[in-house]
Amino acid sequence: MEQRAPYGNEVRIRIGGPAGFGIKAAGATLARVFARAGYRTFDLTEYPSLIKGGHNTIHLRVSEDEIFSHVTPTDILVALDAATIPLHLDELTDGGAIVFDPHDIAADAIELGDLAGRVCLVPVPLTDIVREVGGVRIMRNITALGAVLGHMGFPLEGLVDSLQRQFAHKDPSVAEQNVAAATRGFESAAESHCEFPYKLAPRTGEPTRILTDGNTATAIGALAGGLGFYAAYPMTPASTVLHYLAAHAEREGVVVKHTEDEIAAINMCIGAAFGGTRSMCATSGGGFSLMVEALGFAGVSETAIVVGLFTRPGPATGLPTWTEQSDLRFAIHAAQGEFPRVILAPGDQAEAFEFAWKALNIADQLQTPVILLGDTYLCENTQTVEPFDGAAVTIDRGAFQAEGSVTDYQRYAHSPTGVSLRAIPGVIGAEQLVNSYEHDEHGFGSPGEVAATRINQNAKRLTKMRLAASLVPAPREYGPREAELSFIVFGSTKMPVREAMKWLEADGISANMLQITTVWPFPAQEVFEFIERSKRTVVVEGNATGQLEGIIREFCMREPGHRINRFDGRPFSPEQIYETAHAIAGQPVPQRVSPEATGGDA
Amino acid sequence: MPTPEQLQTIHPPTWCPGCGNHSMWKALRQAISEMGWASNEFSMVWGIGCHGNGADFTLTQGMHALHGRALPPATALAMTRPDLHVIAEVGDGDCYGLGMGHFIHTLRRNPNMTIIAHDNQVYGLTTGQASPTTEHLMPSVSTPGGVLEQPANPIGLALAENATFVARGFAGDVEHLVGLYKQAFEHKGLALVDVLQPCVTWNKLNTAAWFRDRIYKLEETDWDASNRSAAFDLSMAAFREMTCTPDECRIPIGVIYRQEGVPTYEDGITAASTPGWRRASVPRDVSALVDALS
Ligand SMILES: Cc1ncc(C[n+]2csc(CCOP(=O)(O)OP(=O)(O)O)c2C)c(N)n1
Ligand code: SF4
Repeated sequence: MEQRAPYGNEVRIRIGGPAGFGIKAAGATLARVFARAGYRTFDLTEYPSLIKGGHNTIHLRVSEDEIFSHVTPTDILVALDAATIPLHLDELTDGGAIVFDPHDIAADAIELGDLAGRVCLVPVPLTDIVREVGGVRIMRNITALGAVLGHMGFPLEGLVDSLQRQFAHKDPSVAEQNVAAATRGFESAAESHCEFPYKLAPRTGEPTRILTDGNTATAIGALAGGLGFYAAYPMTPASTVLHYLAAHAEREGVVVKHTEDEIAAINMCIGAAFGGTRSMCATSGGGFSLMVEALGFAGVSETAIVVGLFTRPGPATGLPTWTEQSDLRFAIHAAQGEFPRVILAPGDQAEAFEFAWKALNIADQLQTPVILLGDTYLCENTQTVEPFDGAAVTIDRGAFQAEGSVTDYQRYAHSPTGVSLRAIPGVIGAEQLVNSYEHDEHGFGSPGEVAATRINQNAKRLTKMRLAASLVPAPREYGPREAELSFIVFGSTKMPVREAMKWLEADGISANMLQITTVWPFPAQEVFEFIERSKRTVVVEGNATGQLEGIIREFCMREPGHRINRFDGRPFSPEQIYETAHAIAGQPVPQRVSPEATGGDA
Repeated sequence: MPTPEQLQTIHPPTWCPGCGNHSMWKALRQAISEMGWASNEFSMVWGIGCHGNGADFTLTQGMHALHGRALPPATALAMTRPDLHVIAEVGDGDCYGLGMGHFIHTLRRNPNMTIIAHDNQVYGLTTGQASPTTEHLMPSVSTPGGVLEQPANPIGLALAENATFVARGFAGDVEHLVGLYKQAFEHKGLALVDVLQPCVTWNKLNTAAWFRDRIYKLEETDWDASNRSAAFDLSMAAFREMTCTPDECRIPIGVIYRQEGVPTYEDGITAASTPGWRRASVPRDVSALVDALS
C-alpha cells in the first residue's frame, strides 16, 4: 500500500447529498464502526440551514495514528445524489473512488475531466437494493455504508453489529432490513472491478476510545460537575446540549427547561443558582446578545452561573450552521459596567468535558459568571477521545456560611479575595438581599448610591479577578520549547493547528503552539514570555479583525509577527495552516500535499 | 416565625406619602406573619420599579432582580427549591410591559408560587410614563396625546392562559388584601394577585377615591370562583368599563377564579422534588453516559 505522507495510514470518506438523506447519521454509524475496530476518527459535518434539500456532507477521517482535526482530501466519495459528484471531485485522491447510484446518474455521464483513469467509479444500485429488501428510501445511506466497506475490503461485521445495536429498540424488521441493505451494498461494491489502494484492517489491542462531539462532552462534563439546572432556548450550534440534557434529565435528576427565550433562560439560571443549585445555560451569539443584561446581573449580584457561548458567524442571524470565532471581544466586554468574569475556551472535545465541570467550580469559587466559549467546529464535530475521566472530577462549591452560626449575615461582606460567604435561602438567620442594584454589604440598595459604598463594592468584586487567575486553567503549550514557528491560538483552532504541526515536523520545520485556554483573565505574562522566546509568532484565529491579536498587543505590548485568519464560515483546515506556515518559514510547500486555497495572510 | 415588625429592615420605606405601596407592604408582612412561615421557609423576588424598592425594606431571603425579569428567577427557584414558598413582587410596567412574555409563559407553567402585581397603571419610578395598564386615552409624559392602545388585561390574560388562582385586590383595603394574600399563598400552583395600587404622584385619574367609588367585594356577592367562563366575562367587563362613572360600573375585588388540584409544573419533573443544591456535593457518576459513547 502506498504510504501517503504526511497523512499516514488513513482513509478519508465523504458522504454527500441533500438534507433529509440521513447523511450525518450514516457518517456517525461509520465512525463508530471504525472506532470500535481500533481506529481514530474525526468527522466534520457541513450543512446549510435547511431541513430538506441543500447540500449536506459528512467527511470522516479514519486513521491508525493520532489525529487532531479533519482534512480535505477524500479517498471515497459517497454521492447520494448526482449533484454531490462535481462539488467534491477536486478533493479526490489518486486511486480514490466514487460510490454512486446508477439510478441518479449513469456512469458514462459522470465528467471526471483530469481525474479520468485515476479514480474508480463504483456503481451501487442503492435505490433498487432498498426496494428489494423491502426498506424505505432513507436506507440508501446504510446501503452505501455497506458499499464503502465492500470497496475497501473491510469486514462487514462491525457495521452489522452497529445496526443491530442501533435498532435494538425497534421492530426487529427494521434491523433486518438495514442489515440486508448493508450486506447487499457490501456485495455489490465488492464486485466492482477496481482495487482500493489503501487497505485498513480491524486492529486489535487498541484501547477503548469514545466518540464524542463538543456539545455531548460539555453536557457530560457539566453533569459530572453536579449540574442541577439547565435552561436554554434552541440556537445552533448550542441546541444539542439542550437535547442531550433533556434526554438524560429524568435519570440524572436535573431540571432542564426549554424557556420562552434566552432572557428567561439566563434569568432562570440566576434564580436557581441563588437557591444554591449549580446552573448553566448555553446559546450562540444572537441568544447571548439577549442574555447580556442578565450577565451583568449575575456579576453585580455575585451569582455563580455558567453560560455557554457557542459561536457561529455573525452579525445577527449570520451563517447559522457554520463556524467562526468572532465573539471573543463580545464575550469579554458583554454587559454594561465592570465586573469579574471568567472565560474558558476549550480547544477540543476532551477539554469541553474538562472545562465544563471546572467552569461550575470556578463560578462557585468566585461567585460570578463563567463563560464557556466554543464554536460550531468544536460543538458539532465528533472525534475519538480517551474516555472522560470521571475520577478526575472534583467539586468545590466555594465559601459558604456555616449553618447555625449566622448572626447579622452580610451577603456582600468584604474579604481579601473579594469573595463573601454565601448562604442560600433556607439557612436559618440568613436574611439577605441579592441585588441587581449596587448595594451595601447586606445587599440593600438604598445606600448603594452613596459613593463610598459603590467604590467599596465595585472594588471588592473586581478583586476576585486576582483569585480567578489562580483558579483557571493555565495556557497549554504543545511542541518543542524552541521552534521555528510559534502559533498562538484559542478554542477549536487548536485542533487543525496541532495537525498542521505534525506535518510541519515531518518536513523538518519545528513548530510549537500556545493555546490560550482561559481567555479571561487574559494570561498576559505567559503570552508575553512565549512571544519573547519565539522566533516567529503566528496568531491563528477564526475572525476577520484579529481580535486575539489585538488583545495580545494590548496586554503584552508585543507585536505578533504573523496572522492567519478565516471568516468564511468554514473551519481552518490543517492544509491551510500548513501551507501558510511553510510560506512564513520561507520554504516552498512540498508537492505531495495539495493545500486548500483560502485566505492565509502571512 | 417573624412578626410584621421583624419583616422590616433598618431602611424605612421611601415611597411617596399616600402611595398604595405602603399598605400593600403592610398587608404582605401581616399575611406572611399570619401564615406562620419561619423566615427561612420563604423567599421573595422583586422586579424593578417603585414596587421593587420594597426589597430594601423587607427583611427576608430575597433577590432584587432586573426590570421585567422577576418571574424567571422566581420560577427557577420554585423548580429547584420545593422547600421554599416563593413570592414574586412585580409592577405593571415591569411585568406586563417589559416582562409580558415571561408573564404569559409563567401562567402557562403553573409553578407553585405567588405573583403580587403592584398595578398603579403608570411607570412610577421613571416618572409617570404610561404603562400597559394605563387607561385608553389617558395622557402621560410619554403619551401627551393620550395612550392610543387599549390597556392590557392581566386578569383576562391570566384566565386565558389557564392560571389556577386569579385575584384582584385594592391597596386601600389592607384587611381584604391580607385575606387575598393568604389564600394565594395557600394555593398550590400559580397565584396571581393583581393589586390596584394608587400612585398619588403620577396617576391623577385612578386615585384611591376613584377606586373607592367603584370597587365592591366578590365575597359579598354570590360569586362562584370556580366558574372559569364567568370569571372571564367578569374580567372583560371590569376591564372595559374602567372609564365609566361610578354609577355605570363597579370594579370587583376578591378571588375571581380558583381551581385547586391542578398539577403544578414541578409535579411533572421528578428532579424538582428535591432541592437542587443537594445534587452538587459530590461528582455525579457519569460512567454509564461515557460508556454509551464507545
Ligand atoms: C431594561 C430596563 N429598561 C428600563 C429600565 C428603567 N425602569 C426602571 S423602573 C421602570 C418602570 C417601573 O414601572 P412599574 O413596573 O409600573 O413600577 P412602579 O415604579 O410603577 O412601581 C423602568 C422603565 C430598567 N431598569 N431596565
Ligand atoms: S411615584 Fe407613585 S408608585 Fe412610586 S412611590 Fe410615589 S406614589 Fe408610589
